Amino acid sequence: MSVQTLTRGDDVLAAVQTRLVLDEAVRGACARIAPLWPLKNFVAVNPFLGLTDKTFAGASAWLQSVARTDMLMPLDSFIEKVNAGLISSDDLMVAIATGPKVAGVDTVASLRAAMSRCAHARPTPAVVATVAEVLDRLADGDRYASRTAFMVEEISKWCAAYFDEGQAAWKAPWRGHKPYAAWQKAMRHDRNPETMGVKGFRDTIASLPNDPRDAIRLIVDALGIPERAYEDYLFRALFDVQGWAAYARYQVWDNGLHGREDDTLVELLAIRVAWGYALFQERTDPAFRIAWAAAMDDAAQIPNDGELDTGDSLGLRVLLQQACEIAYQRQLVALLECPAPAPGPLRPALQAAFCIDVRSEVYRRALESVSDDIQTIGFAGFFGFPIEYVPIGNTRGGAQCPVLLKPNVVVCEAVAGATAEQEAQILSVRLLRRRAVKAWKAFKLSAVSSFTYVETIGLSFVAKIAGDSLGWTRPVPDPNRDGLDESAAQRLGPRLEPHIVDGRQTGFAPETRIAMAEAVLRAMSMTENFARLVLLTGHGSTTVNNPHASGLDCGACGGHTGEANARVAAAILNDPGVRLGLAARGIQIPEDTWFLGCLHDTTTDEVRVFNSASVPTSHAGEMKLLRIWLDRASTLARTERADLLGVADTAERDAAIISRSRDWSQVRPEWGLAGNAAFIAAPRSRTAAADLGGRAFLHNYDWRKDDGFGVLELIMTAPMVVASWINLQYYGSSVNNRAFGSGNKTLHNVVGALGVLEGNGGDLRAGLPWQSVHDGRKLVHEPLRLSVFIEAPLDAINTVIAKHESVRQLVENKWLHLFAFGPDGKIYRYWSDKAWASETPTVRVA
Amino acid sequence: MSIVPWLAALVPACLVLVGLWPHANARPRVIAGVAFGVGLAGFLGVLALAGAVAVGGRLVTPTVGFLGGGIGFYLDALSVTMFALVSFVGVAVLRYSRNYLDGDPNHGAFIQRLCLTIAAVQILVIAGNLALLILAWITTSICLNRLLLFYTDRRAAVLAARKKFVVSRLGDACLIGAAYCLYQLFGSLEYATLFVGAAQLQGPSDGFVTLAALLIAAAALLKSAQFPLHGWILEVMETPTPVSALLHAGIINAGGFLVLRLADVMSLSAPALSVLAIVGGATALFGSLVMLTQTSVKVSLAYSTIAQMGFMLLQCGLGAYAAALLHILAHSLYKAHAFLSSGSVIDVLRASWSPSPSGSPHPARFVFALLLTLGATFAVSWAFGATLAEKPGVFVLGAVLMMGLTLLVANAIDRRPNAYVVGRALASALVVGALYFTLQAGTEHLFAGVLPTTKPLAGAFDFGIVAAVIFAFAGVTWLQGQMGSVVATPWGQAVYVHLSQGLYVNTLANRLALRFWPVRISAANAP
Repeated sequence: MSVQTLTRGDDVLAAVQTRLVLDEAVRGACARIAPLWPLKNFVAVNPFLGLTDKTFAGASAWLQSVARTDMLMPLDSFIEKVNAGLISSDDLMVAIATGPKVAGVDTVASLRAAMSRCAHARPTPAVVATVAEVLDRLADGDRYASRTAFMVEEISKWCAAYFDEGQAAWKAPWRGHKPYAAWQKAMRHDRNPETMGVKGFRDTIASLPNDPRDAIRLIVDALGIPERAYEDYLFRALFDVQGWAAYARYQVWDNGLHGREDDTLVELLAIRVAWGYALFQERTDPAFRIAWAAAMDDAAQIPNDGELDTGDSLGLRVLLQQACEIAYQRQLVALLECPAPAPGPLRPALQAAFCIDVRSEVYRRALESVSDDIQTIGFAGFFGFPIEYVPIGNTRGGAQCPVLLKPNVVVCEAVAGATAEQEAQILSVRLLRRRAVKAWKAFKLSAVSSFTYVETIGLSFVAKIAGDSLGWTRPVPDPNRDGLDESAAQRLGPRLEPHIVDGRQTGFAPETRIAMAEAVLRAMSMTENFARLVLLTGHGSTTVNNPHASGLDCGACGGHTGEANARVAAAILNDPGVRLGLAARGIQIPEDTWFLGCLHDTTTDEVRVFNSASVPTSHAGEMKLLRIWLDRASTLARTERADLLGVADTAERDAAIISRSRDWSQVRPEWGLAGNAAFIAAPRSRTAAADLGGRAFLHNYDWRKDDGFGVLELIMTAPMVVASWINLQYYGSSVNNRAFGSGNKTLHNVVGALGVLEGNGGDLRAGLPWQSVHDGRKLVHEPLRLSVFIEAPLDAINTVIAKHESVRQLVENKWLHLFAFGPDGKIYRYWSDKAWASETPTVRVA
Repeated sequence: MSIVPWLAALVPACLVLVGLWPHANARPRVIAGVAFGVGLAGFLGVLALAGAVAVGGRLVTPTVGFLGGGIGFYLDALSVTMFALVSFVGVAVLRYSRNYLDGDPNHGAFIQRLCLTIAAVQILVIAGNLALLILAWITTSICLNRLLLFYTDRRAAVLAARKKFVVSRLGDACLIGAAYCLYQLFGSLEYATLFVGAAQLQGPSDGFVTLAALLIAAAALLKSAQFPLHGWILEVMETPTPVSALLHAGIINAGGFLVLRLADVMSLSAPALSVLAIVGGATALFGSLVMLTQTSVKVSLAYSTIAQMGFMLLQCGLGAYAAALLHILAHSLYKAHAFLSSGSVIDVLRASWSPSPSGSPHPARFVFALLLTLGATFAVSWAFGATLAEKPGVFVLGAVLMMGLTLLVANAIDRRPNAYVVGRALASALVVGALYFTLQAGTEHLFAGVLPTTKPLAGAFDFGIVAAVIFAFAGVTWLQGQMGSVVATPWGQAVYVHLSQGLYVNTLANRLALRFWPVRISAANAP
């Protein structure tokens, strides 16, 4: 008896153990997926977010071996660069000295020899195969014959129906249930897999447990996945539907910000492995069973240490990638070593703060060149005001702050100068118009009435097609102004006064205003010598017929334009009460200083000034001058951008660039943040003399004014991280658009009003369209990891790195390169583990 | 004999010249600019021709060839209208493609394939005989195939193109069969001769006429992506958006045009018309219901096209040819715009993300709305001197109009009815009703000499079809009105699943295609 009990006890223990291991594997696999924001606020995401606990090189090797996905440029493109002299021998030498060790490569000569030896990468065997993978292999890689393409298609279609944000008029009936339960219910009726030949599909799914984790457990067990490969297997499975997985991860992320539990991704994982299981159950033929058994044997044996396989080109390519970055850094360091003289104590005529966005660099340089009396400042485009901005007539709005933050104030859009009654009137008219439009839309799209709609309204599209083709009309009304009269639309703006809307406190209390105003001024290192006019310039883009439009807006404002944040900041800083409070806290803003909220249109390079009517009459002269300066800077900025946009340098240049913003057939209205490669946190004088070519995020920072280095910590944990996300999004979309980008824009098919498919179907696509990084002949975005330059004492930087694990991972694991302008005027490169080396001579200092 | 009708041939000829110009990929923007210029000039020329036809009546060239087949053109109100439509859509698509494809290594070739396709459709509509029509018909399909396979490494594109290939060749066979029958009957392939012959053949028709009409109907149904062979059109999003616009607005109409062109022959055969009405009506309902469940904008639009083409063929089947022509024109323009602006859907949905009280209309309000629209429709039709009872053939269409308007008004009466919203919906309903009758009457008047007039229904079978169509459409209207409660029931959920999967027809087609014509692409560039 005792022996039996013991055995049973062991079994139970083993089962518990396995369960724990599996639960951990599920968590681990899900954590490797980066989130994907919906198109209405498409913010940049680091596609390798879940891999930052590995080194850049280690992640490359891991992705290659687990998902057979490349995250480096092909070897040929590096060879081309070396041959063209874009990477010098010096760069190669430094790369060998600083990069990961690759066996047999220790000199430039041996590197060159290795490059010519393995011009062709050979595929390595996957660490663990999924059912889909074995099926693909048996079908010679034909995913149609193996039905794995069908599986992805079916999961994708189902997810689209479940997550749909408003495309289908007839919604999936199970949206109230959790995904896995909803899917099981739907699959009771769905005969599509069986029509395709997947026998017994409905029965297999019905036989699975109702809890997603139980289902995963049962399937992993039934497939015989070795315990050591659990996580890799689950990740590999999820990676097959990585687009929808990323969207599910976004839901987890969003709920996590608000402290809510969310299992959506685990549920999706259960759906995906259940599908694989159904395919597995159906294939009882010996060929498959033998192949499967062999795959499981392999999975139990292949080492999984994440080391670089030097036989492959991977290690070389990591080195060469590093060499490209070193080549860029060499030029940049040369530019930054000779800073402009620091501005004197004279009061400037104009100070203009812009978002750190790389597109601002071009405009700032242009504006500064217009007059010596102008100072520009770089700061995250939400200007330190993380708000939820509620459009007029709504009760909920979008979060206008970096996605790492949660908005802490709700601000409502309102019509300036309107009384409560007038506003209620404008609002109710807008609501009524929308209801009428909704009824009309239902008429247009309903099963029977759509025929009548077409016959009566169809002919009028002659004019619409002509107007839209010529750019005279917008294909659909602007959603921000839709339903409002022109006069009211012109007067829209944020309302700061405290106010209860739909049971929530909106607007700013006086103390909040002062606290936030102080925080933002200190974070901008802007505490003295204010000009008479100070611009706070957010940015946004103007494009039509562009599903990814919000991706061109301000990332620091959560994929919205920065208008609301800039206007809120300006209004608060103009508030006399706030000025008094600030004075009490040691920041004296002169009485004649006036803040203006502005918006830089990155597509047309025009700058719009808001509330100019409320500027004191004493500033009339400056306002006139301001308009002239801004217009001149706009022309200069457009001239600089014209070449890259392929617009001829003629008198019609301005018109040509502006017309792109209205062209419904334009797939490259602007280049967005293509080219981004550096992040510099320093006083402007450090960069003012340099033409950084629109490739650098510029954050003003003066460590001498930063007691306790709180601002440094903020910069390194927020703007730097966001810049790195953007940088790695562009990197991923450039090096492997198939895996990390959203493919060809001309094939995009918006699904569920939240994302795009490429073509008919397949998985949801994350990342940037190919057209956003490539002009047809060459990559316009050169994929380089971000080079971060911070002017601050090395110790202070070390302290921040040590304190924040996410920052430490980015820096230590080489997801970015970190440099510091030391107090001795030299530039230091962060080596690893708090070790820095002076850039100019290659001596390491502790 | 006048030189004017021959000038029509210049329009496609110039496009063909652009389409065959060598080394287009070397200077794509130049080719795109020239193509747009040529397309625009052609469109203006077509408008001038249309003016000439409007003033002087039809323009016909003799046929250069044999058996009445060969090069020759027939320009009447129908063909110049279609000519103008195709040219207009063509210009829009060419202009759009100039920037849209910018940077694509095959940009020039893409523009050229567009030019050739547009030219083929233009010849199809102005051809003066069946031989040229068939030639243009097949050429269009081949040109389109080259556009569908613009990205040759996309397996889904290859699969769709193969399904399309099979359907197209079936359609070609039907059309050639029809031409053979017509030649046997009338001794010529020339339209002018055919129409005269058909006019003399009134009365009990013989088997040959019916066979010809049935084959024409079959060719039209196959070309129009009708159930159950519609699958290919759902999957042609594997090629750039302008191709979808051209296909859905310019090419898919060829089936409907064929029926209208040969309406004199079709009218001789009641069974052929019944086939069109039944298949077209069923497809219209199928397509429009499936459309409601689709989650991607382009697939939704494709189902909408399937439905609209079904409805148009239903109109043909009911003998309402003028209404069918109006439908072709209106649908083409609407759909071209819908595809070209399909990237704006996020803007549209952002505008509608606002809290507005809604919900399914209450059944009582539904009845109220029905009464209101009934009244409005009869009032308007009476004002236009055409009560529905007098034109039984149009009765179905009138009924569909009424159901649509009911839905419009019912949708405006939501949980918190508001005078402004309901008033605006009612006004819209009135305007829609008035527009509808104006347009129908106008089209009928304009094309009176070209298209056979709507005939009264004859026989129990015809009435049966009409009754079935009305019943089915009313059922769907009711279903949509009750959507909220229907989806909660198990059968409602099952219906949802079956419909969202398009009744599994396309999956079966894919399975067959993969089984018998597997797609093989080198693994290196597999998606």
